[in-house]
Amino acid sequence: MSKLSPLFLLNLKMADDASSSSACTGNLIENSVNQDELIMKQQREIEKEISESIPLVGDLEELSSLEKEYNEDPVYMLKVKDLASKYKSIRRTRPDGNCFFRAFSYGYLEHLLTDKKEYDKFYEIAKNSKEILVALGFPQFTVEDFYETFMEVVQRVGEQAGGAPDELSSIREELHDKFNKQGYSDYIVVYLRLITSGQLQTQHDFYQNFIEGPRTVTEFCRQEVEPMYKESDHIHIIALSNALNVGVRVKYMDRGEGSQVIAHDFPEGSSPLVHLLYRPGHYDILYA
Amino acid sequence: MVEMGEKYNTKCPGVKRLMREAMELAEATEEYCARPLEDNLFEWHFTVRGPVGTDFEGGVYHGRILLPKEYPMHPPHIILLTPNGRFEVNKKICLSISGHHPETWQPSWSIRTALLALIAFMPTPAEGTIGSLDYSPAERKLLAKKSNTWVCSQCGDITALLSSTAAKPPTEEEQTVLNQIAFKGEDEQARPAPEPVFEPQNVPQYAERVLESSDNTTSFLDQLTEILVALLVGVIGIFIYRRWNAHMPVEPEL
Repeated sequence: MSKLSPLFLLNLKMADDASSSSACTGNLIENSVNQDELIMKQQREIEKEISESIPLVGDLEELSSLEKEYNEDPVYMLKVKDLASKYKSIRRTRPDGNCFFRAFSYGYLEHLLTDKKEYDKFYEIAKNSKEILVALGFPQFTVEDFYETFMEVVQRVGEQAGGAPDELSSIREELHDKFNKQGYSDYIVVYLRLITSGQLQTQHDFYQNFIEGPRTVTEFCRQEVEPMYKESDHIHIIALSNALNVGVRVKYMDRGEGSQVIAHDFPEGSSPLVHLLYRPGHYDILYA
Repeated sequence: MVEMGEKYNTKCPGVKRLMREAMELAEATEEYCARPLEDNLFEWHFTVRGPVGTDFEGGVYHGRILLPKEYPMHPPHIILLTPNGRFEVNKKICLSISGHHPETWQPSWSIRTALLALIAFMPTPAEGTIGSLDYSPAERKLLAKKSNTWVCSQCGDITALLSSTAAKPPTEEEQTVLNQIAFKGEDEQARPAPEPVFEPQNVPQYAERVLESSDNTTSFLDQLTEILVALLVGVIGIFIYRRWNAHMPVEPEL
């Protein structure tokens, strides 16, 4: 009882509030919108709390660090074991809804440091991406702003790409530092979100099939792709990997049957350069 | 702007972005103008012209823009200072996408987007939204007239701030975006984090949106909890009543 009564009092109080403010909120639709906003506000506070405790992109950890998380959980322990047979380490990202974009870009740029040929290919695609976005009607002024910061980081990688392994440590540190500076890190995420949205809109006939409900591709992009903190689904991954022509392998680890962690390659049949671990609602980076 | 460059870290993308926006908006247009305060890049003052063909025609409205430190990842806040009959003055209002997806600000929008949206939103019905005012057309027209003599303590005579010739109307793409933006007051009361509201008509909605499942058992359980609580309160009531009676004999002994 003592556990329930505060809720009950709160209930009374809320009901009171509702009746006293009914004069200005008149109808139910308005009420439900307010509800939505209160919920979102609460969500944001939770997000903020999380963000203060986890780095945007963490240090490299042994894959066995996952075991600690799932101690005494036989289903997950088997799967961690399976994962450990293919991957040595993991790099965690902050679960803030941007984790796919952050994990992907970090993993890919890291790969580019060791693959000059791939870098040159990527550089051309990245360089042309702005024009595509502006042609689609994105505001030139702000697109340019994101583009410039994005390219600044890309070019820093390019300067060192293909260098001797022991000479790469300072650029690796710089990359890690940039990805953990909220300003830079978020700008990279925004730009990848724009590229994703651009790809979806350019090929809207194809992607329309993936969208449930009555939303158009453009509406979907405005609501689920372009805003920050919106989580990524298959459609985001398919679009981004197609737009940049980069293979991504996602290992899906959940409570599903069996002891294997199922892998999925995007685009299908590609040879993956970036490996991500997906656990319900979150992406981290995997290293072989 | 030179001093700004010294004061802020121009390497920080958010600062760089605001300085670019300041440059872009430095030249006033017929419809709007905005610039940062001399000593604070994160607070701006703006002036907008009331849209032609509405109750606000002929009006000139001044206000503040407060930029969060996360800008442009989070939206700017707008505060109107000139009485206008549509928005409360001195109250933070913010943009949201009208309809069912509130608060989906996009980093590719800018202060210009916010100002154009504000102008476009002024003639829309207030409908009792927080921060909105429902003044009559006559009152709004009177305020529009009066607004021309309104003076900002920092910027002075505001009518002089707008250009009389330079037009920079929204592009077609901007217009489609503007049509979706709504403004409303921010709930500034420091309310406790919203607890689930156990109102039967709200429960299914709440459960659906938060848990992303239309699982009926959730709402059923919530309703059950409510009934149980009501019952327990009732029982306690009866219990207290009986104790009370036990201590205060009401029936005279014969």
